[in-house]
Parts: sequence; structure tokens; C-alpha cells
Amino acid sequence: LKTTHFSPETAGNPLREGLSSRPMPQPCNVVIFGASGDLTFRKLIPALYNIAADGDLPAALSVVGFARREKTDEGFRKELEEAARKHSRQGVNDELWASFGNRIFYHRSEFGDLEGYKSLAARLDQLDAEQNTRGNRLFYLSVAPSEFEGILQKLASVGLNKARPGSWARVIVEKPFGTDLPSAEELNQVVNDVFSEKDTYRIDHYLGKETAQNIMVLRFGNSIFEPLWNHRYIDHVQITAAEPLGVEGRGPYYESSGALRDMVQNHLLQLLCLVCMEPPTDLTADSVRDEKVKVVRALRLMSPEEVAQNVVRGQYAAGSINGKNVIGYREEERVNPESQTETYVALKVHVDNWRWADVPFYIRVGKRLPKGGTEIAVQFKSAPGVLFNRDEAQLDPNVLVIRIQPDEGISLRIQSKRPGAALRLEPVKMDFHYGTSFGKASPEAYERLLLDAMSGDATLFARRDEVEGAWKFIDLIEDAWHQHDSPPPLCEYAAGSWGPKEADSLLERDGRAWRRI
Amino acid sequence: MTATLDTSAFGTPVEIGQISRELKKLWERENEVSTRASLINFAVYCEGAEAMRAATNLIFEFTKHHACRALLVGYEPSSPEASVQAWINAHCHLSRAGAKQICCEQISFLFEGNTQNRIPSIVFSSLDSDLPLVFWWQGEFPEEIDQQLWSWVDRLIFDSQSWSSPREQFERLNAIICANSRLTPCDLNWTRSLHLRQALAQIFDAPQHRSILDGLQHVSIGHAPEYRSTALLLAGWIAAQLKLNQQREEANGTRFIGSRGNVVTFDFKEVTGRSISKCCLASSDASVDLQRDPAGDFFRVAVHAAEGQVYNHLLPAGSNDTAELLLEEIGGGGKHRVYLRALPIAEALLESR
Repeated sequence: LKTTHFSPETAGNPLREGLSSRPMPQPCNVVIFGASGDLTFRKLIPALYNIAADGDLPAALSVVGFARREKTDEGFRKELEEAARKHSRQGVNDELWASFGNRIFYHRSEFGDLEGYKSLAARLDQLDAEQNTRGNRLFYLSVAPSEFEGILQKLASVGLNKARPGSWARVIVEKPFGTDLPSAEELNQVVNDVFSEKDTYRIDHYLGKETAQNIMVLRFGNSIFEPLWNHRYIDHVQITAAEPLGVEGRGPYYESSGALRDMVQNHLLQLLCLVCMEPPTDLTADSVRDEKVKVVRALRLMSPEEVAQNVVRGQYAAGSINGKNVIGYREEERVNPESQTETYVALKVHVDNWRWADVPFYIRVGKRLPKGGTEIAVQFKSAPGVLFNRDEAQLDPNVLVIRIQPDEGISLRIQSKRPGAALRLEPVKMDFHYGTSFGKASPEAYERLLLDAMSGDATLFARRDEVEGAWKFIDLIEDAWHQHDSPPPLCEYAAGSWGPKEADSLLERDGRAWRRI
Repeated sequence: MTATLDTSAFGTPVEIGQISRELKKLWERENEVSTRASLINFAVYCEGAEAMRAATNLIFEFTKHHACRALLVGYEPSSPEASVQAWINAHCHLSRAGAKQICCEQISFLFEGNTQNRIPSIVFSSLDSDLPLVFWWQGEFPEEIDQQLWSWVDRLIFDSQSWSSPREQFERLNAIICANSRLTPCDLNWTRSLHLRQALAQIFDAPQHRSILDGLQHVSIGHAPEYRSTALLLAGWIAAQLKLNQQREEANGTRFIGSRGNVVTFDFKEVTGRSISKCCLASSDASVDLQRDPAGDFFRVAVHAAEGQVYNHLLPAGSNDTAELLLEEIGGGGKHRVYLRALPIAEALLESR
């Protein structure tokens, strides 16, 4: 989404006109907490480097990695260079890396050591003077949520949360944003005690994906869809996030999370919001997020009985994927052999507002499914069959599919006359592939999100009320599973299958079926 | 003429009236392993066999990035006989997804002899319906061509750097723009300075450097001898965006007056190197010096602040070859209103030394 507003700083630059249709990132120091972690090496530094290679990085910028391990600036830069060469989407240019790398620094400290923050503050002041970064600070918390409070309090203790007049201080928070509503509220409070909500950027990398951003363009930039985008013409919507991978060594994390918390609470409900929201009055961050929050608030909350009826949870057992035998979830490393954690969940959800009255949204997410892919399928009501194919029960409905990943694109299934003397109808597919139509590779989601955070554009970040609203909905399901006297069963499915048969029944009893993806 | 022209690069010769049918046959053959894609009609006009071959190579590169139907319009005015020939071929590339090839079709025409007036109708009949027409007119705009052609064009690409008589050509261009409100002029000579303009804009995104613009006294632009028009467009841009009015020629350059009565002089120096290799904006106590790195694709920018500090930056300069300029232009889009504002000033500067 290209926002139409510009940051006040760049708006006053007479040479900027016509050169960019997006807010420009401002000079700043980016401080990454947890800088020796995987995310920094695989995503954050390659993203910042790619922004520099595209010429979009502010001329004055420095990156400070804050972590516990002993390292020098030079050693840190060398490690990051190797990682960038491996993970940067456009490779690494030696000369550009030399210039970019010289702006990266390492700051060793324990997260709980106040002295480390005092010296960080001094170092940032020094960088402001040397690099002309003007006192702007972007703190990236790439650490476990349990570390948030300690880090934020220490930042506040040394005054790094307060920007000087004319400057800004922002914080980027990685998911998970809590594990339930109380913990999310607590976490949000911890963050908002130190940084105001307008300076808090909660990353959901799904929102940085090109196709997720295109949902609003598809809906509100084309006049043909929106008149049909309601309960009169739409039969139901399916949102699928499937992956063939298992937990891949992340057993302990997954044990405490499960598919519902890991994927549905954030990514899939965000996609649902983009599909269901009303048109915002403009493209400013709060206008867009106000509309998304209204969707979250309209989610029909479920009683334990309704959870049993409308939600299916499953766990993969041993099976085979792509011709290879794979173990079951309970046999995975560092997973409880009697684990009750769901690796699959299917839900039937209702959005109780005028537009979506009685339109079911079927959401499914699972690990160890036969193939990977995230997509939204909007199935329209069938046309009356009185004219064509009278001997058939029903005409195939039109289906609009938005593929989020991989093979990003949009397809529309329509009816067509089969060639010949007889009047027979066949469904055909009109298919748009990003990769076919636009040769240029899309920027990584993290590039877009980091640019937006440096520009002060929070449109693609989750707001506190969105997050808490989503947890309110999710918690009722978790409670029904774990707190109720007679919880619904955890269904088993073989790895390499499309999930438990109970998930198929969820749709079958409504006279529907999951899409084949 | 065609006796000496190697037409193998243009694909299969076809009768002009049979182009649609032949394209259909081509795609029926290719359908199993490839997908046809098209988002724009991309027409290229050029003169001479060599230019046609070069354009075909460029179209091949272009189709890697932009799905299109390409129309290559070659004109050979020196041929004694009037004739028009056509060829079709496909440019295929593996998609990022891997499996299928993505193909774009190219229809090539060679107009020989006194046939230039036939170009518009053949172009009109060969367009992929409902898609915008991007027309890259290589060389000079002719006076005698059917003006209706321009009314079909959405984006008209040209390179004012290559014009032998820029004043006359700019007049023709202005007439084309005035007569066709839908048409967006896209001067590759303007695109040539895109990275430089972006680099300067990025420096002045920082409010503390804007005092240099507010108190601007001198602008110095170093350009390769054949890129004077590029430098004039750059100067036109700076003057237009800072609302400077041209006053007169002086010994040390061209004098402009700002809205607050401040005097700004522009000077242009011929230096060896690529297009524009140097640009300096100076106020009384601070300056921005931008130099193109001769070895690489970067600008080295030094900001000399009033307080004495020097801030150095390395910013991408792009390669400025024709293919890249074309891709930048098509990828960027927009109505080029800023260009239209800079153009009259650049035209006026054509008279200066």
C-alpha cells in the first residue's frame, strides 16, 4: 500500500517531488537487541543491505547490534557479510558492503546490565554526532518476549525511550505478542509504559508480503469486486496456510504455542481482516487499522460447545511427504511424547456484521500437509441452473483465489461453454501470476517493514487493540480445549495427508468441501 | 535493401494480413511448455537494419522484466522501392517459479522507401487490445507523420540526448504533448539523471542540510561533452524545484534569481567520464559535492556542513545503459510533471554557452 501522506521532514524537501510515492525513511540509528540471533543474520541485515542497494536507505544511518556474546565491530561485520552474501536477494556488491558494513557496530552487554545501556546511550550520542543520525532511534527487539520487560525498562532508565525534540524513538516488537489475552495485555502494557502506541511497531511479516498488500488494491482499486463482496453474493471464504514441514527443531517453542497461537491468532486473522474490512477513509495507518479492528471486534465468540462444533484440532502422526517417511509429532526432538499440542487446526468463523451476515469463513492451518501454500479463496454463490446443465445438481460456483505464497497471484474460476453443438458448461480459470506478469522479484517482507518503520508508517504493523481483540477470540478456543471438563478430542492425521477427517466433516455438514490447493 | 539485411533475428516472415492467424498458430505450438504474457504494447521505432537488430536484442532483455507485445517498426527511407514486410517471433524466459517459460511475442515490420505514412495504421491494427501503448521513438520526430499516431500513445519514450537539433525537436515534442493530453512524455535523457536526482533528494531529506538550498549561491555541473543536454535538464530541475528564474549570462555562468531575490549562478563544465560525473550545490558556508565514481556504479557524496563537519555517503548511481534506462522508465511510471516543469528552463539554457 502506497500511502499518500509524507513524513513532515521529507515533505519540506523541494527536490523530493516526483521521485517517490512513499514516505521516505529518515536518518536513524537502528539498534537490534538479540543481534547474534538467526533473524538478524538471515533477515534483518540482508533486508537493510538490499534497501541500501536500492538506494532507499537514509544517507545517514547506523546499525548497532546489542547482544551478550563477546565480539568486535569488525568480527560482527564479517559474520554479517557472510550471512548477507548467503541471504541477500540481490547478492552483495563489495564496494557497497564496505560502505554499508562500516555503519554497523557491535555493542556487547547482558540484557539485564544497566551499565550496558548507559554505554549504549553514550555510543548512540557519539554516532549521532559522527553519522548525523539526528537522535532518531529504532529499537528492534529480536528476543524472546520474556526479555522485553527487562530491556524496555533499562532503555527507559537511561532515557533512550524518550526522543529529543524534533527526533523520534520507536520500537519494533517481534511476535509472539503474548500467549493469551492477559499476557498480551501485560506485554503491551510493558511496551506502552516505555513507548507510546504510536511509536510501537508490532511486526507481522505476512502483512509485508506483496500479495497481502494487494488484497486492498484488488478490493478497492477495482470496481467489479466490491459490489459483490458481501453476504448476498459470497457463499463462503476459505483461508488456508499449509506446509509440508514439521516443527524443524523448534519443538519446545511449538509445544508452548501450537498452530492456533502460532499462525491463526496473528497471520490468518490479519488476512481475514483484510478480506472483511470496510474501505478506510484514507490510507493512513490508523484509518486502515481502525477498519481491521472493527472486523476483529465482529468475530463471533464461541462457547465451549460451539468450539467443539466449529473447531477441529489435529496432530500429525508418522506418514510420508514427497515419498519420504517422516516421524510423528510426538516423536520429534524435544517434544513431549504425550503432547496434546495441535499441529493442525480448522475453524469455522463468523464475522457478525451486516456485510458478512451468515457467511462462514473456514480457516485451516497445518504442518506436514502434502504441499505448502497460503491462499484465500472467495467462493461466490452459484448461478441458478435453470438454463444450463439442467441435469446437473448445481453449476460450479465462481471462485476468486488470492495466492499469498508461493506463486503469488490471483485466479478467477468462471463458467464457459464447451465447444461443440451441445450446450455444455465447463469451469475455466483466469490466472494472474505475479512472476509471469511482473518479472521483477518482490522485495522481502522485512525490507518493506523496516522501511516503513524508519519512515514512521505503521499501516502494515499490528496495533494493540487488534492484537488483544484477536487474543480474546483465540482464548475462548484455547480455554475450551484446555480448561473445559469435556474438551473436544485432539484428532490424529497422517503426515502427508490433508489433515484429520473431522476437518472435512466440518465443511461436509454445511454441504461444502475444502478446496484442493 | 532486404537483400543485405539479415532478418533471421526477427523470426518467421508472415504476410501482413495474416499476422493474427500466424500468432495464434505460434501459441498453439508453444502452449504446452510456455505461457504468453502481456501487460503492455511496447512499440519501438528505429531506422536502419543495424538499429533493428539492436532493438530486437533490447526487446529480448526488456521482456525478461516486462511482459508485453512488442512491435518493432523499422524504417529504411533510402530504399528505392516502397514495401512493407513483417515477421513474428517469441521471446521466452524461464519464470521465477521455474516450470513454464514466460513468452512475449514480437511483431517486426520493415517499412522501405516512401512508406512512413503507413506506419500508424499498421501499428493500430497490431495492438493487443485494451493494453496501454508505450512507444519508444528512437531518433528524431518526423514532421510528416500522421499525427493520429500520437493520440494512441500512452507513454512516448525518446532520448533527447541523441537529437541533432534539440530546439526543433523540443518544439515538435511540445506540439505532440499539447495535442494529446493522455500522452506522457518519457525522456530517457531525464531518466539518465534519475539516480543523481534521487541522491541529491536523499541528502536534502535531512532538514539540517536544507539551509544549503535556502541559501544556494552556486551550482556547478560537470558533464561529458555529448551529455550537455542531460546537464541542462538537471539544471532545469534544480531551478524549477527551487523556483529560480533565469536572468542572464555572466562570465562565471548563467544567473538565476530566487523568489527572495537571492542570486544563483549555474555553470557547466565539460569533463571526461559518464554523462554527468559531478554536481556541486553550494551556499555561502556549506555545500554538497557529488561525484560519480568512475570505476563503479556509485555516487560519492560529501556534505560539507556549516559547522565544519564532513559527512560522506555512497549512493547507487545505476549503470545508465539504454536497457537499464528503459527499465527504470517503464518500472517507474508517473506523469513526469516535474520534467515538464524543468523542460522550458532546459530549453532556454540551450541558448547559453
